[in-house]
Amino acid sequence: MRQLIRGLQPVGPGGTAGGGTTGGGAGGRDLRADVFRGIALWFILIDHMPGNRLGGLTLRNIALCDATEGFVLLAGYAAGLAYGATLDRRGWVFAAAALLRRVGTLYVAHIFLFVVFTAQVGYSAAALESFAYLDELHLDVFGEQPYLALLQALLLRFQPAFLDILPLYIVLLLLLVPMLPLLRRPGLLIAASGGAYVLVRLLGVNLPNWTGGGWFFNPLAWQLLFFTGAALGYAPLRHGRRGPAPAVPFHPWLAVVAALVLAIGCAIVLIGDYNEQWLAELPSGLAELLTGIDKTGLHPFRLISILALAYLLGHAVPRGAHWLRGRLAAPFVLMGQQGLPVFCAGIFLAFLGRLALEMDDRWPMQAVVNLAGLAALVSIGLVAAWYRHRERGEAPRPTHGPPPHARAGGPAPQAILQAATPSSTTSS
Amino acid sequence: MIVVRRILLLLGVVLAPAAVLGANLSCESPPELLQASAALPATAKAASAGRLRILVVGGASVLGPGTSGPAAAWPARLEALIRARSPALKLEVVTRGARGLTTAETGAIIAGEMASNRPDLVLWQTGTVEAVRGLDVDEMVEALNAGLGRIITAGTDAVLIDHQFSRFLRANANVETYLDALRLVAAVHGVPVLRRWDLMRHWADTDQLDMERAERNDRLTVTDRLNDCLARAMQALLRDGVAEARGRPGPRP
Repeated sequence: MRQLIRGLQPVGPGGTAGGGTTGGGAGGRDLRADVFRGIALWFILIDHMPGNRLGGLTLRNIALCDATEGFVLLAGYAAGLAYGATLDRRGWVFAAAALLRRVGTLYVAHIFLFVVFTAQVGYSAAALESFAYLDELHLDVFGEQPYLALLQALLLRFQPAFLDILPLYIVLLLLLVPMLPLLRRPGLLIAASGGAYVLVRLLGVNLPNWTGGGWFFNPLAWQLLFFTGAALGYAPLRHGRRGPAPAVPFHPWLAVVAALVLAIGCAIVLIGDYNEQWLAELPSGLAELLTGIDKTGLHPFRLISILALAYLLGHAVPRGAHWLRGRLAAPFVLMGQQGLPVFCAGIFLAFLGRLALEMDDRWPMQAVVNLAGLAALVSIGLVAAWYRHRERGEAPRPTHGPPPHARAGGPAPQAILQAATPSSTTSS
Repeated sequence: MIVVRRILLLLGVVLAPAAVLGANLSCESPPELLQASAALPATAKAASAGRLRILVVGGASVLGPGTSGPAAAWPARLEALIRARSPALKLEVVTRGARGLTTAETGAIIAGEMASNRPDLVLWQTGTVEAVRGLDVDEMVEALNAGLGRIITAGTDAVLIDHQFSRFLRANANVETYLDALRLVAAVHGVPVLRRWDLMRHWADTDQLDMERAERNDRLTVTDRLNDCLARAMQALLRDGVAEARGRPGPRP
């Protein structure tokens, strides 16, 4: 498995990876981003199966942020890294085209998952004799107005439950197209993005949802987290060499504040879960404020929570931490590196898991669902990595597949460029 | 225990004596789900005065869809149960509901009823439409905050009722988000919640009552029983809230 992990082996100019796991590629890919992305993808699978007992152990149970925030931040990081490098090498037009190509892939994946979802609703309605629910709850908008529902789904204005992250991702990547050049001016990027976030929250702007209200994840608010990730992932070119991605330097006071933010968030979540009566003791204004910590508009406290978590983890786990290259981390690194196929497969697997738990949610089924789910995710990551590996290794043709790698710089920039090639070319 | 029961009988506010309730409950429920964890002072006062007005507002399920008739719906069952226990009490139960009402809409109904004839207790069942259609959690929270604020300021008690448990709903809608939000808002206002989701889930898990696994021919009986069980659970919760308002430990069923 570890031979297939990028960043573990030295990468030659031809794209062929040599054997062995020396630290040669260590300067290139930041495996921390991969491993945490992999864990976030696993948590998303778990959290997308309501009734899954393992759902009581994921991040959302102890922090005022969850795998979605982690996923979006790291998606921004990956996008800043990959498309930022493309921007520098091939210019804005090419990078924009690569982004749009990725958006197209995501869109098709979303529509496929939508079709799976409607099939699942129909199947479980029949299996559970739930047609009464369909009717009573108006859950069956698809059955009532199939043509309109299909149109609205194509317009991303109809997003059934649990199918709301991909549309968010699609819009975030679209927003990145005009913002790409600003990657070189991160201050301006964050100012523009933060200004938009404040405006959106103050005015309550959201993209429309056909069944009422707005999107469950408001992309116009969530873009701030995404662009923050992008700014952190973009490694600027200096004298033709690519330096390391910027990092917020360690400062004891900042660490204390971050820890405090996480502790308060943890307390709020725990009180809400186990001792909500205590809320009545708080001053009513403060208590009502706590009920208003929304996920839809990425409440500032949720935003601060994920940033604090990322800051502490980023400094607690050194870039070259040994365990990142170990056996235990390998499946997650692999999943994180093959983010798109693993994510889409995860949403699909969550459908199957929900059906299984709908039939029986006692512990043997829980164990089967969770073990099979994780195994399937890892397998998909393996297959995607293998395919990418073979494609790179055997046919590094510039006509199709990855563009030729830049000839500037030493081995370390080479490794970065290798990793930074827009993965849309293969991992879709 | 006997002394407590006698006092309750004397006051004429007994909604059901503890011992009898335990035997009659057609569904066994975890005791913590029948605790109010908040006082119902207006209800206690009205019951002491011998005159109780309850307003039930909600979506379709307050009207008892799928039951054998209007008398089998849980608000009607609750009314009958209270009457049976306290014949002397002048009880009035008003039920308002319709299919597909959002929290803002049921909130408006409550506001209208409060203005014309203030009840002592509002049983507010809501959140289902929001969860099913994926409407903004925020808007539900805002409507609940406004509505509960209004009810409490007017000196009326409130009890929220959350979603019906359904594996189908759980698999196809993001229910947990709405359940959590509803529970938190209620806690902030010090208002009890009848945890219908957890109750029905317990009844289903312990094979007592499972709507989704009922045979087609049994559906009517099961739905009637569900409404009866819900009414009894609500009755137990109200007794606990009233007892808490009186500053005594509530009789645990």
